[in-house]
Amino acid sequence: MSVRGRWRHALLLSVIALYSLFPIYFITVQSLKTPEEDVFGSPLWVADPTFENYTELFESGEARVRGYAILPKVPFVIWLANSAVVLAASVVLTLACAVPAAYALGRLRPPGWRWWRRVLFATYVIPQTILFIPMYQVVLAFGLDDSPAALVVIYSAMALPFCVWLLSAYYANLPREIEESALVEGATRLGAFRRIMLPMSRNVLVASGLFTLGTVGQDFMLASVFLLDRYKQTVAAGLGVMDVSLEELVAVAGVNMAAIPVVILCALFARGYVRGLTAAMLEGA
Amino acid sequence: MKRGVADTRLAYGLMAPALVLIIAVMAYPVAWEVWTSFTNFSVRSEGRAFVGLANYRAMLGDPLFWWALAVTIVYFLVTTTAKLALGLGMALLLARPSRLRALVFLAVFLPWAYPGGVTVVAWYWMLNPPLITSYSLVAGTLKHAVDSTLGPGAWAFVSVALFNVWRGGSFTAVFLLAGLNAIPTELFDYAALETRSAWQRLRHVTVPLLRPFLALAVFLSFTGAFADLANVWMLTGGRIVFPVIGTYAYWLGIRQGQFGEAAAWSLSLVPLLALALLVLFRWFDPPAERPA
Repeated sequence: MSVRGRWRHALLLSVIALYSLFPIYFITVQSLKTPEEDVFGSPLWVADPTFENYTELFESGEARVRGYAILPKVPFVIWLANSAVVLAASVVLTLACAVPAAYALGRLRPPGWRWWRRVLFATYVIPQTILFIPMYQVVLAFGLDDSPAALVVIYSAMALPFCVWLLSAYYANLPREIEESALVEGATRLGAFRRIMLPMSRNVLVASGLFTLGTVGQDFMLASVFLLDRYKQTVAAGLGVMDVSLEELVAVAGVNMAAIPVVILCALFARGYVRGLTAAMLEGA
Repeated sequence: MKRGVADTRLAYGLMAPALVLIIAVMAYPVAWEVWTSFTNFSVRSEGRAFVGLANYRAMLGDPLFWWALAVTIVYFLVTTTAKLALGLGMALLLARPSRLRALVFLAVFLPWAYPGGVTVVAWYWMLNPPLITSYSLVAGTLKHAVDSTLGPGAWAFVSVALFNVWRGGSFTAVFLLAGLNAIPTELFDYAALETRSAWQRLRHVTVPLLRPFLALAVFLSFTGAFADLANVWMLTGGRIVFPVIGTYAYWLGIRQGQFGEAAAWSLSLVPLLALALLVLFRWFDPPAERPA
């Protein structure tokens, strides 16, 4: 690449980095402002940063005063803990269902496997939002309202189709010899899978796990309807019921606080995520 | 390879948990929607009677339906195209070696990593400030300009579409970058010798090679587009007055209690989704691609 080409490339890379980061920068700037600066300051930077909006999330006591309004306390730490539980359980359940199904579809190839895989994948495009009323009936029938279990099951069903597709593509692409050499040495099919293929697919598992995380993180609607008890809500459900016109900046601060652990997780696994996707995409999707 | 009965049985056994999970979550709701769409089930009348296609006939005769359908299709087309274009551009930039690459990759990954369900809340209120803030004037001018050309509520709608493009574009970029990595580099080396301009190379080599992944990205973008819209709709108590099939169905069902009609509206998207699936499957899962 010529020197000019390299500069142009670097410039374009900076542009896409700015484009990606600007909205996050913008909401962070607003969340660091005092109410006065929010009105009279500049939208692009903060002159006198305060963590007031953030500390308010962690304050104890049942109510707090803000201006002329008395607002109920936000049990933010409990929301964070609930979110973490829902997230972890969803990832575990998704992978526990996806891995065996992917092995069956990618490796054992039962009759009609292609259609099984397609039908499973097709369920991904059915918007959960239009199935919402009967879904709520099911949740009520099982007594799962206000329980994170309902969300875990629904989120896992949402993320599952893509994870099965990804993992089964990877298992299908692995050379036969890898499995067969283990079979020759007397291992069972499942034994060979568990000891050899499963560890090999580590990156694809990471990709599936992160995809599940993204799917869970995307939902606000289901969480806000299924979880009504303030102390059983996740961050998404909780922030949604805050009176936004009065607490806009606190809600924004809450968004940032909730995002930090997720972003750290994603940054740690980002490389594995791309490698896992690539591994599954080799030789056709 | 020998494919015995035992293997088949094992395969079904291994698929069982996934199938049970999907069926448990989807089967009853889908069946309920289909059945209800043929009845007059509503909070306004007692019991429910089979009314055949009456709900569908009423829906097709409603000018609002065609308007909502048009808005829905335009929303999907515009956001999906934008996500693909942005995603492809960012993926191509990131695929070339550079000292900045690792850092920029993390930056591009960030919009998707930021949990969308809560970020859309912040995004929406930032673009539609409820109180007076430092940039209210700019936001108000924008809102006025967009609303006066496209109709009331358009700016709120556009702000959701922008969010969807921002977050979905990030996902698409990373996804297509992985796709680019999966293509043998020799193919690009040959292409560099055979083609004259970078644009030609993109059109005749890169895009065709990426086609299965582009199709997959479209597929994955559907759900996200719908979820973002529903999230904001929920959040604002229906303040997005631009009708879209999904949100209008929800409004009919939850607010009006007209479950029969709402179900018909919900299912009206199924033929379109099925059509899209047929085309997409042809692209990323061609029938005779791989010997079993």
